Amino acid sequence: MNMPKKTTVTLEDLLRVKRAERPPPEFWAQFERELRTKQLAAIVEPRPWWAPLIRFGTRAARYQLPVGAAAVLALSFVTVRQYRGDDYEAVVASPSIAAIGEPAPAASVGPDREAAPLRAPVAAERATVAAATVSDVAVTGRSSHTIPLPTVTPAVSEPTPSARYIAANLAAAQADNPNLVNAVFGSMMRSADNREPVRDPLAQISAPGESRRSRLLASALGVAAPGDLAAPSADRVSRRLTEERLYDSISRIGVQGDRVAIKF
Amino acid sequence: MDVVKTLGKTLVASPDRQQEADSDLAVVKRVQAGDVAAFDQLVVKYRERVYGVVYHLTSNREDAADLTQDAMIKAFQSINRFQGQSSFFTWLYRIAVNSTLTHLRKQRLRTFFSFDKIDEDDHVSAEVIAALTDATGADRETFARELQEKLNEAMLKLSIKHRTVITLFEIDGLSHQEIAEIMDCSVGTVRSRLHYAKQLLQSELQAYIRR
Repeated sequence: MNMPKKTTVTLEDLLRVKRAERPPPEFWAQFERELRTKQLAAIVEPRPWWAPLIRFGTRAARYQLPVGAAAVLALSFVTVRQYRGDDYEAVVASPSIAAIGEPAPAASVGPDREAAPLRAPVAAERATVAAATVSDVAVTGRSSHTIPLPTVTPAVSEPTPSARYIAANLAAAQADNPNLVNAVFGSMMRSADNREPVRDPLAQISAPGESRRSRLLASALGVAAPGDLAAPSADRVSRRLTEERLYDSISRIGVQGDRVAIKF
Repeated sequence: MDVVKTLGKTLVASPDRQQEADSDLAVVKRVQAGDVAAFDQLVVKYRERVYGVVYHLTSNREDAADLTQDAMIKAFQSINRFQGQSSFFTWLYRIAVNSTLTHLRKQRLRTFFSFDKIDEDDHVSAEVIAALTDATGADRETFARELQEKLNEAMLKLSIKHRTVITLFEIDGLSHQEIAEIMDCSVGTVRSRLHYAKQLLQSELQAYIRR
């Protein structure tokens, strides 16, 4: 038989040679026997209880990417939300907020809900929130926020026309009949005279930064000026020093004799 | 001519294939209805093709025989879940290819050759071997054995996925679409893998290519 001469050999031709690799016919008889044996064994052998679980896992594996992405998003959302909540609470509730430095320009705040609990409890007097003198609120933490800390200073109230009218009448009545006036208004006037002047509760609270500064200065100046001298000098210095200068000037590590003191 | 052949192979479903798929589906329905012996028809029909694919992927005849039998048994066990969304042939191929890929990944570091003989009655391979031996003057049988080794070595240098694509397309003659269905990837991916695999094989088998 004459075969046409092939002169060119391509990759496809070489792969056709590979395709011609075939098992001999007797191979299939043995194959058939082995397959039959395996088939019977597979029918007789009970399937393991976890076989459906594998099938379920294979199906669930298709959704691993969207499920994973959703989980990461949810985790990020919760983390960010938690982080913001902590930060806000820390800023509001932190005792380490210090109000020091130069006073900020006064801002008049209306009688809103933030200022309401801070108002002086003088019912009759009209309290006016004059200024919120908070400057450079330093917040320990990752971010620094400026939280206005309003201090309420009751303004000197001008007598109203009715008050002026009542006062004039009272003075006239006292001049005409002092006994009657004393009998009627005596106890009230005495109690009003004996009453302690109303003090702003905020004025009684020292700023958190103030106490910290005093503590730092007391510890720093304790050796040099023991006893009563420490506090006045600390006050004087604290008025002049800013927070940054305090940190620059006071070292946390001190050496005294054979001791090394580390302040936290 | 090659272009026409290639285009013909990439057609999604020829009428012959469709007819074949319909007849397979009828047999599958009989098996699902309880006629277990009908499954033997499918085994006899597809065992050589499935074996061929597995053999060219593993280059080991014993492994190929075992994997082909395992694929047939898996298909038999799961035949009730076959709903006819793809052809039975594609479904069976997918089982066989997936089993083989799992086997190859497990045995990545252990490779043993065990070849089937080149069919002497295959005219195309005889022509190719003749063309190559005429040029070199080598003994045909010796040269055929050497060529077979080189071909299998070159195939094993491909990654598993590239080897699968080149086997299914060039050796088994499946279309891009069918390969994409079997490998569960896009047609573009199949083309890309095929192109890369051919480039690599050409560089590996440069000594045997005559232009």
